[in-house]
Amino acid sequence: MTATAQKTLLVSTDLHKTYRTGGEILEILQGVDLKVKQGEWLAILGASGSGKSTLLHLLGGLDRPSKGNVQYNNQDIYKLSRKAINQYRNRDVGFVFQFYHLLPELTALENVTIAGMISGSTLSATDRKKRAEMLLDQLGMSHRLKHRPNKLSGGERQRVAIARALLNEPDLLLADEPTGNLDADTGQQILDLFIELHKQGQTIVMVTHDQKVADLADRQVLLERGVLKK
Amino acid sequence: MYIALLITKYLKRKLAPMFAALAVTLCTAMVIIVISVMGGFLNMMRQAAQTLTGQVTIFSGPTGFAGHQEIAKRLLAEPDIEATVPLLRSYGLINIKIHETTRTVEVVGIEPASFNTVTSYESSLYWTNQHFLDIWKKQYPASGEMSPTLKQRFDDIKKQYENLNLDEAGMTFKIPSIWEDEQIKEGCVLGIAVDQWNTRDTEGKYNVSNSAIGTPVIITVLPLTLGGSFQSLSPAKAQFTLVNEFKSGLYDIDANRIYVPMAQLQKMLDMDRKEVWENFDPATGEPVGKPTIRSDRVSELMVKGKEGVPLAQVKATVERVLQGYLNEHTDTASLWIQTWEERHSTLLGAVEREKGMLTILFAIISLVAVVMIAVIFYMIVQQKTKDIGTLRAIGASRKGIAGIFLGYGLAVGVIGSMLGLALAASIVLNLNEIQDLLYQWFGFKMWNPQIYYFDRIPSELDRMEVTIIVFCAILSSVIGAIVPAIRAAIQDPVESLRYE
Repeated sequence: MTATAQKTLLVSTDLHKTYRTGGEILEILQGVDLKVKQGEWLAILGASGSGKSTLLHLLGGLDRPSKGNVQYNNQDIYKLSRKAINQYRNRDVGFVFQFYHLLPELTALENVTIAGMISGSTLSATDRKKRAEMLLDQLGMSHRLKHRPNKLSGGERQRVAIARALLNEPDLLLADEPTGNLDADTGQQILDLFIELHKQGQTIVMVTHDQKVADLADRQVLLERGVLKK
Repeated sequence: MYIALLITKYLKRKLAPMFAALAVTLCTAMVIIVISVMGGFLNMMRQAAQTLTGQVTIFSGPTGFAGHQEIAKRLLAEPDIEATVPLLRSYGLINIKIHETTRTVEVVGIEPASFNTVTSYESSLYWTNQHFLDIWKKQYPASGEMSPTLKQRFDDIKKQYENLNLDEAGMTFKIPSIWEDEQIKEGCVLGIAVDQWNTRDTEGKYNVSNSAIGTPVIITVLPLTLGGSFQSLSPAKAQFTLVNEFKSGLYDIDANRIYVPMAQLQKMLDMDRKEVWENFDPATGEPVGKPTIRSDRVSELMVKGKEGVPLAQVKATVERVLQGYLNEHTDTASLWIQTWEERHSTLLGAVEREKGMLTILFAIISLVAVVMIAVIFYMIVQQKTKDIGTLRAIGASRKGIAGIFLGYGLAVGVIGSMLGLALAASIVLNLNEIQDLLYQWFGFKMWNPQIYYFDRIPSELDRMEVTIIVFCAILSSVIGAIVPAIRAAIQDPVESLRYE
């Protein structure tokens, strides 16, 4: 699927992020303007320390920009109430992290369903469980439902994390180096999943330092020292 | 819902909250046990204090007061009042001849049957015929080893012991035939600790073989004039037979009080009803003119209220009736009214204060549990930093994060305090059995009945107190979790996700 005919889903305008450490001001992002269209797969390519994770956190409503704004469906997410921004993170956005960030006490299935529990969605507990099982099944994890993360391989953990991100059917999937912690084969399997999701119409913003990964996207932008280069 | 799921999982998977719950368990159990033992001790003392005291007592100074029959009549006409009984209280010396010991005592004259309607006098009597039969059994040689004459002798002794009827002796001051003496006409009853030869065994029981029961005692008192001075300084002395001993449970009473027949004591103290003359012939010393009747005097009138009537109401009724009587009889000696609680306030108040102090002390010690929970939870929050970031990334609110840790504290508090309650209840309800076991295993007794006056460790689980302690334990756990919960809630999710 191409992005050309689709509406704009997410827009960042003049996005700045600065940190103050020991009297020194670090400008991580220096005015990033970005548009993501519905159904598009955008790769943000950049070296380590270029600010790509910070950008992803800002797009996902996890952090607050020092300046600028992020509009999701024409709504400035940083003008939303706390409750609304929590809902934005839960229902509209799905995060996939390099280090998976699964909750170690929960089983694979519970790690997925918890995203539905937080949203307080209209799905009943049974439906939520069914959907989680279906997602894990689609990701080839049906045999590992009751296993806790420490019993899973890196690739399996990332599949669970992807299932969690997809549970609430978010418009936007934000992936932070999803293959960065995996060997080449496993990484490729995860990328295949992203390709499949993209084919199904899933909007994806993925940050990566790997040109080969970025090449899979519809479009790629380069972030260098907080400045975006098309 | 996710909060409940995470609390359950965290409880199952972590050792740290188990330690926190253990701290709550021990603190809860400790406070409940202390309060129960102190409460049981206090209750036992309160019961003991009531044993030989009327609910309300009207009392005068040592010279006594007349007209107690009229006051009693008026009181008994009141719907709140069940019974009244007069008694005479004085101080004197007792000489237990068999032990050749003399000591000061509180001598109380009573009419046992009526005294028993207001107090639990009868149930406080210590010796029963069984004690004597038990001794006889120990002395009885195995059958077949005795000559018919000796057997006859032992059987006679048994018969005598069977007919002792010590209960009746205590209730009538009548001397059982086995102890009859031509010189001594009446019996008396001593507090079990008055005779210092009475010692307790390892089970806290007294042995009749040490007792002076059945032997004569000499009681000496000093009569007072109505004005309160000693009457020509001539003490009154009389011999009684010790027919039983009583144990109220209050050592102060049991070590200092003896009961004698009231009429006898009234005579000894010159407080009995008699004819008196005002004028005497100076030449012969013979009384001149008509005598007047002097009423007998008592020093106290004990009053018992009807079942279910509150103590304050009984006291108010007694006050009203007495005031009415005093208004009509202005020449009556000064009289005071006290409830049994007021009468024993020095002792009971001290124990009550001690219980309060101990509760506060242990509650302060229990603050350690709060600090421990705070520290443990702080460490848990530290360990869970990454999880907190993850939860925030998938939409959990700050309130939700705080809720997890507060709920966690609540769960630890509930589990800990319930276990503490169970532990305390199993210890408190079986305290004496546990002590017996410890004694069997290690020969160690926490509560030595040879030393302590009560033979069993007193304890009582008070529902209200237990509820308050459990509630405080749960509240303390939640309070301990507040700071860590706030810290978790305000954590920057981005920083949390970076945390390794």
